Amino acid sequence: MLSVISCDKDLTLTEQLGTLEPTNIDEDAETWASVNLDTYDVTQTKIYTAAETAVGPAAKIFDPANDVASVQNIGSASYQSELASIKDMQSKLTGEQRKAIEYWSGGGVLRWNQILRGLVARYNLPPAPKPDGSYPGPDAENPFADPNFPFANPPYAARAYAYVSAAQYEALKAAWHYMYLYDRPSPYKNDSGVKSLMPETDLPSYPSYDAVMSGVTAEMLKLLFPTAVEEITRKAAEQRNAAIWSGRASTSDVAKGLALGKSVAGLFTTRARGDRMGNSGGSKPQWQALADTAVSNGEIPWVSLEAPKRPPMLPFFGLRKTGVSTGCKAWLMTDNDIVNNRPGPPPSTASEQMVEETKEVKYYSDNLTRERLAIVHKWADGVNTYTPPGHWNDIAAEYIRDSNFSEVRTARAFALLNMALHDAGVACWDTKFFYFNPRPSQLNNAIKTGTGVPNFPAYTSGHSTFSGAAAEFLSYLFPEHSEYFNDQALEAALSRMYGGIHYRSDSEVGLAHGKVIGGFAVGFASTDGAD
Amino acid sequence: MNKPLLIFFLAVVSSAAFAQTLTDGLMMKKGNLCTGFMYMHDQWEDYWEGTLKRDNGNIGKITTQSLVWAGNYGITDKLNVIAMVPYMKIDASQGTLHSMEGLQDLSVGVKYYVFRKEIGEDDVFGVFAAINFSTPLSDYSPDFYPLSLGTHTTNIAYRATVHYKYGNWFANASAAYTWRSNTTLDRPAYDDGQDFYETDEVKMPNVFDAFVSLGFHNGPLQVQAQLTQMNTLGGGDILRQSMPFVSNKMNFTKVGALVMYYVPMVKNLALRGSVDYTVAGRNVGQSTTLLAGVLYTFQFVKPQPE
Repeated sequence: MLSVISCDKDLTLTEQLGTLEPTNIDEDAETWASVNLDTYDVTQTKIYTAAETAVGPAAKIFDPANDVASVQNIGSASYQSELASIKDMQSKLTGEQRKAIEYWSGGGVLRWNQILRGLVARYNLPPAPKPDGSYPGPDAENPFADPNFPFANPPYAARAYAYVSAAQYEALKAAWHYMYLYDRPSPYKNDSGVKSLMPETDLPSYPSYDAVMSGVTAEMLKLLFPTAVEEITRKAAEQRNAAIWSGRASTSDVAKGLALGKSVAGLFTTRARGDRMGNSGGSKPQWQALADTAVSNGEIPWVSLEAPKRPPMLPFFGLRKTGVSTGCKAWLMTDNDIVNNRPGPPPSTASEQMVEETKEVKYYSDNLTRERLAIVHKWADGVNTYTPPGHWNDIAAEYIRDSNFSEVRTARAFALLNMALHDAGVACWDTKFFYFNPRPSQLNNAIKTGTGVPNFPAYTSGHSTFSGAAAEFLSYLFPEHSEYFNDQALEAALSRMYGGIHYRSDSEVGLAHGKVIGGFAVGFASTDGAD
Repeated sequence: MNKPLLIFFLAVVSSAAFAQTLTDGLMMKKGNLCTGFMYMHDQWEDYWEGTLKRDNGNIGKITTQSLVWAGNYGITDKLNVIAMVPYMKIDASQGTLHSMEGLQDLSVGVKYYVFRKEIGEDDVFGVFAAINFSTPLSDYSPDFYPLSLGTHTTNIAYRATVHYKYGNWFANASAAYTWRSNTTLDRPAYDDGQDFYETDEVKMPNVFDAFVSLGFHNGPLQVQAQLTQMNTLGGGDILRQSMPFVSNKMNFTKVGALVMYYVPMVKNLALRGSVDYTVAGRNVGQSTTLLAGVLYTFQFVKPQPE
């Protein structure tokens, strides 16, 4: 028996990133369309204008009418001194620096996606109740206080994944635009004395796309996870340094890349400040009004099953009322799209069907087999995890990695996936708070659960909606794996019923709704010029 | 108590003697098997979230009930084998979380009487070494704390014990270092409170524990006061308002008392009861543990006439 035990405790991480060597560098990425539904959206025109306009005392980042020739002059004294400094650094690279090069060789977008999943998990902690039974709210203006800002719950997380991914994608497309405009090769191509320590490509290097990515990502992450500023900025600096140490970029490549990344992040930050997320918590009278509406419709309204009772999680993150702009802005769906695709009502709490569905949940509660508990826990994605949107990023990452996409195409995959997931969150939260339907354990307190009961209404299941949307989009991107994605989505949806926290209707309708939402991402992807 | 009577009682005690656990200074005689069942009831309401003591209305009181089969066999007078199998049920008095139950871990240990020195007429100093192996007997989930049956790890504990008997008083001290294997979750990624990992495998810190007891034998009665200290050598704290995690730094100090009574009417039958109370802890519940057991000694080898 002893022989089967390995004394080695080193973990084998399942998401290993080898060296990214894109099969296609996607020279035409600048022509790929940006989302442009309304004035919220960050378009290529806005990005180019911002990069080529002097703001206050800051000079223009790019001035293509005047500075192309000087950038292309690789014989200039300033560029030659940049090359000399790279050679000097390369002559005394430390082990740490080589590790940094190896780490970022795995692909910047994938690396940042892993880092983001970790941040979401760490910040996905609900506020603890105060002694008087009330719950303090996280305060963006005082993020270090208890509770920390943010509480990265599923809506917050879905939005965070979407902002980071969308901003990276637009910033990289802009990087591609300027790289080909200035067309200055990497240092290792300009000077045979500079070693190439990352895979070589034919991509020009001014501005450095690694630096663009570091700038745009760090700015978005600092906005979304302000108390993690130290590690965010350290990682971002490491990414820029690795670009220089590896001979892929010079200091001026990096400086311009960083400036462009920050400039694009500024546009997305403006969008984030105006996307109505700030109103999603609501107030006590508004929460009461949701319950009153359910009662006036003859339904039993949702109540919190936590002790002490906790206000519902971000009830106005999704909720649309006809003719009024409420709810957090979606990416690929208009307010009308959300209202028009909202699922019909759940079975009435007074109906025979609801009695039957509650009985079915009770059956699963009474028969929580080890096999089903494993499925419940596989998909629980609750407190202190990367949430269901993070789980689907986790699933997608390995397929994206194995496709050897260029950085910009990788960014597109994550951007569209995460826009779909965000929209799924918005549309599902719209549905949940439109109907305000109780959880199974509220209708029958003998129903015990295999995971925590989420603190918001049951219909429809968030996991099912997220999973349907992700599976739909990933099936478009990787059609040969469509069956797998759909099986996983179905398992995720049913896991909530096995765990005793959702009725079958919640899961089935949520899954179907999610697929409709994922269809919006598929519709965009099939016409954006990239495929 | 006059001397002949004391000798008589000691003789009774030694003939029925069995080692309670790996931590004490008693041995089974060659060919003897002491076996029986113990019922354990452990309950807590307050717990330490890291170092913050609190309660939680979403779980209320956590009650663990175990029925433990235990056996201790004397291979020789100096070498004992000790085994245990617990069946457990854990539930929460409030909230919706589902109770968990099942067989937990098989534990098998050997204990060796390394050194014995008689001092004067009645005093004995002894040194014991033990190694204990434990491994899960069922596929319970280690990812549902505080309702998980255990860590679902395979453990090897290396233990040393010293025992001093002074007349009918005794003192006992024991310490162990426990190596724990990694454990596996049903999910592909997790945050252990310190870092985020893209794997289902969790690195489990090892554990150190120390146990001290003071007591006396008086006729069929053995009474002792005891102190247990356990420290997990690594691991993170429970994050604010989060669930506990399997690799958390779980530490505790418990004080307690144990009574063993050798039923005079039935030769070789002993009753055992103990209570332990957690006086300090980190990432554990402040539990009160009650234990009651019935143990019987079978003598497969006739004792040699003295």
